[in-house]
Order: sequence, then structure tokens, then C-alpha cells
Amino acid sequence: MMRKLPLLSSLLLLGLGQAFAQTPAAAPPPAWKQGMPASMANSTLAPNPGKNTATPAAEIPIDKLKLPPGFKIELWSTGTPGIRAMARGESGKIYAGTRALGRVYEITDNGKERTSRVVVDKLNQPAVAINKGNLYVMAIDKVLRYDGIEKNPNAAPVDLTDAFKLPPLQHHNWKYLRFGPDGKLYVPFGAPCNICELPTQEYAQIRRYNPDGSGMEVIATGVRNSVGFDFHPVTKELWFTNHGRDWMGDDTPNDTLNRISKADQNFGFPYCHQGSIADPDVKKDKACDGVTKPVALMGPHAAGMGIQFYTGNMFPAEYKNAAFVARKGSWNRTQKIGFDVVVVKAGNDGSNAKVTPFLTGFKDDAANTFWGRPAYLLQMPDGAMLVSDEQMGAIYRISYKK
Amino acid sequence: MAGLRNGALLFHFFLSIFPMLHLFFFFYNRLSQMLAGLLLMLACGQTLAQSAPRLELCVACHGAKGVSQSPTFPSLAGQPKIFLENQLVLIREGLRDIPQMKGTLDGLKDAELTKLALYFASLPPPPPAAGPVDAASYQRGKAVAEGTRCGICHLPNYSGREQVPRLAGQQERFLLDVMKEFRDHPGPGRDTIMAASLYGLKDAQLKDLAHFFAHFK
Repeated sequence: MMRKLPLLSSLLLLGLGQAFAQTPAAAPPPAWKQGMPASMANSTLAPNPGKNTATPAAEIPIDKLKLPPGFKIELWSTGTPGIRAMARGESGKIYAGTRALGRVYEITDNGKERTSRVVVDKLNQPAVAINKGNLYVMAIDKVLRYDGIEKNPNAAPVDLTDAFKLPPLQHHNWKYLRFGPDGKLYVPFGAPCNICELPTQEYAQIRRYNPDGSGMEVIATGVRNSVGFDFHPVTKELWFTNHGRDWMGDDTPNDTLNRISKADQNFGFPYCHQGSIADPDVKKDKACDGVTKPVALMGPHAAGMGIQFYTGNMFPAEYKNAAFVARKGSWNRTQKIGFDVVVVKAGNDGSNAKVTPFLTGFKDDAANTFWGRPAYLLQMPDGAMLVSDEQMGAIYRISYKK
Repeated sequence: MAGLRNGALLFHFFLSIFPMLHLFFFFYNRLSQMLAGLLLMLACGQTLAQSAPRLELCVACHGAKGVSQSPTFPSLAGQPKIFLENQLVLIREGLRDIPQMKGTLDGLKDAELTKLALYFASLPPPPPAAGPVDAASYQRGKAVAEGTRCGICHLPNYSGREQVPRLAGQQERFLLDVMKEFRDHPGPGRDTIMAASLYGLKDAQLKDLAHFFAHFK
């Protein structure tokens, strides 16, 4: 028996050696496909292509868009490919970031028509915010401040990058940027994967900083990929959209709308999704214990982006303090979902949330295709609502008349 | 083969004694490239070719009909229109820094870039690479491609679609260079999903991948 062992083990070794020689170690699935079951290895679902070229007004089929009775939508500005989140300065100029194109736009309204220029380009997926007349631009790897940009179009940027200590991994690390009622700069840092244990703790969280980059605080953890938030008009609490993971099937999990009501809340990533579903790949005992539940489920893979609480007087009273949410639309789902703007009506504490469609017509369900992707919203002083369309590189204006 | 090499040596020898010949051949090359471009337009009779700007400049490096004959320049023929359009925009803006292309797209409007993209997308894609296939490397590359699930976005026959490039039949050296760039220098103009997809792959694996895609049948 003992004498047979060396032979056996050498045979085993030989076998192993051959196995290594014949089948090269399969590379691990890439970060964004981690957690993808074998049943989906032959899927051909892939992210939707963006469009980096300007779309002429005549090629934007705005007639296809539908709204509740009394609302009207018009093409407000064009020629800004890839436009995403918008920030409005005191003079009425609008600033907006992009992703792949790396540009920050400035849009000027003379009352009749809109013109645009590129303030800065060659950045790595920049987002913008305005504070006291200064434009803040945050890219994956850079933070810039343009002082008094509205009066001084050639303002040279102040580089604040060092103060913000941005984590280096790129995926899901594009930003959304907003100043809160407390004067602090709020910004999320996404998980650098589809689903994974975090390589370091500086991801999957929302932070706030003093405007100069000092005083950083983490205000929420377990946030996979938020790219939009607003502050509730009554409670001043931060409500944010969050994208759920991919490759868990067409209907699971949902994207969510969430509310930060106290310090140290955890929103579940990577162990728990939508506050109720344990992850099948990255496991933990009692995965959803202590996880903050969402205000509303926003649809699986629907890509909830910008959120805007409505505080104006133009829309009917039922919309007062309701949250408008742009859903840019799905890719990791057989039948496309989203590609619209919905209204979420809920109590001030987030209770009894109801989600209803508001702006539709960007997709064709029968053909399973889309032409536009509403991404962000901005309420104007007159109570009208602007919607940016990242695909068409355009801004629409929604108004209401009895 | 030896005859060919001797011929080439002789040719270079002649060039070295008669510097003026350089100039002659330079102009001859430029002329023939322009002529090739012109013939292409006439032969195809395509409005696509006629309306695409600076085509002669493109084909000088990327090959007549968009099929590259140079290891470091990619073939453009048969690439998806949106992919080409995106790259043209990123290169014009300087987001993708390609020294050889600096300035070549300056001043072109978006609509003109779209015409170039439409033209090259309309051409038949290159055949599998002509050189000898290293069977072991091909098989290793195939296994890595399946492990990293390249086929989900690039499609199982690696023909690409929409914003995702065709890999089948692309220049091998170019594929290797560009994958290393994705892996080592993620940044502006580089897709973060691609960077994530190549994260942690070793040089040897990228080499096998490039060999597999270039010779894919």
C-alpha cells in the first residue's frame, strides 16, 4: 500500500501537469461580467452604443414623445453630443458634463435661441456643479474649479485634484456632482465592477466634502452605482437613484430610489440588492440584515439617473414635491425597459411611494429599439423642466398650460 | 524568397546611391496612392466614397479599400459604423492620442466624420491574416477569449457590432498594442468596460488573443 503511493501521486502529478499544459488556465471573467452564470455565457446582451456626433434638430423625432394632458415638450437646444447632468448659473447659463466625449458644455439662452460652447475638453468623464458663481468640474481623475465663469468665460481653472484624493479605478467611477443645502459638495464613488468584494473601501459610497476638498465624510455605504440625487424640498434629506447589478436575469434586481435619513446607513452592495435580495455570488450570512430599504423599486436594469423634486408653480398641484426621475434605459435585459421619465409620489419620509410614467415615446416596444435616452432633469425658474437626452445630444423643455 | 530579398536589397542599394530617387519614389508613392484613391472612387462609383473627405490620406496608411498592409495600422474595412464614428471623434478631439494621426482630422465636422465612417463600414472586411498559424497559440487565445467572454459584446464570430469593433482579421500587432493600451493606460477615450475586461491579463495572454483574432476562421 505504502509503496503504491509514490506511483499514484506521480501519476496524479503527471495528470495535473497535462491538464495544465493542455487547457490553459481560463482567465477570470472580467470585472463587469463577474457573477455572470454559465447559462448566460452565450448571451449577446451588450451595453447600448452612445452617439458622439451632433444630431441636427431635424433628425430628432420629438413628435413621438408623449406626456400627460396639458403638458407640452419642445426641443430647447441641440448640438451638444453626450450631454448629461446640467447645472444652472445665476445668469441663466447652463453647464453640463459628458462621459466618453470628455467635454463640459456651456449653453447660453438669449431668450429666443440657445448657443453652446465647450468650456473644457479632453477630460475623463466630467460632471459639473455650480456654487456661488464658481463652476466645479470633477472627472474620474481630476477636480477643477472655474471662478466666476459666467462673467469671465476665459477663467483659468484652479486644480483641486490633490485635495479630493480620488480613488483610481475607472469603472463606475464617473461622477454626479451637487452642492447640498449645507454648502457641501456631494459626490458618489461607484463599485469598480458589476459585482465583487470591494478591492478597497473607498468605493460604493457617497461622500461629501467642503468646497475646497477638505473635511471629507462618507455619508452612505453599500451604494453600487448612483449617478443622480436631489435634496428633498421639505426634509432637506438626500434622495438618490442607484443602479442594480447585471447578469442576474431580466427581472432581478431592481434599480432603486433611496433616501439618506441618518448617519452610517448601508444600502447593501455587494451582499444585498434592493434591500431584500441576497446576492447569489458574493455571499454573507443574513445579507440583508441592517440594510436600508429603498423608497421605491425603479425597474430591473432601467438605469435610473437624474432626480429632480418639483418645487415650481407651473405644473399642477399634484406634482408639488414629487420626484421626477429620468430612466436612461436598459441593456442587460431581453426586452428593453426605461427610456422615459417617471414621477415618484411619496410621503416626506419616503412612505407609500408610487411610480407612474410621465414622459414616454423614446423606445419602440414592438421592435425593441430606442432612439433617445433621457438622462437628467433641471427645473427652471419659471417652473418648466429641462430634460437632457444623452443619445441625441439635446435638451428638451417641458411646460404646462391649463 | 531569397530572390525577393536580393531584389529588395538591390533596390535599397540603388536608392542609397541616388538620393534623388527617394524623392521620385516618394512622389510616385503619393501619386499612386492618390491614383488608387481616384480609381477606387471611379471603380466603386459609390456616392459614399465621393462624399467621404480626406480619403486618400486614410488609405495611405490603412490600405486601399481599408485593408491595412502594415502590422501597426488597423484595417478599417467592415468595421461597424458607430465604432468608426466614435473613434474618429475621439481622435479628432485628441482624447485618443495617436501621434501618427495628429492633425489629420482637424477641422472636419461631425457630419464629415460620419461620411468617412459610413464609407469604411460599407467595404468588405479583411480575410483572416495570411501568415502561418501557430496552432498552440491560436488554441490558447481561443480559451482566453472564451474565458473573458469577448464574444458577448464582439459577437461569437468577433465581427463586432454598433460601438464594438470587429476583431476577426484585424492586424495582429495592432490588436496586441491596443489591448496593452486598454489594460495599462485606461483614461480619456478608453472604454472602462474594456479596461475592466482586460484587467489582470498577462502579456503572453494578450499575444495569444491577438494571434487568435487575427487568424480567426
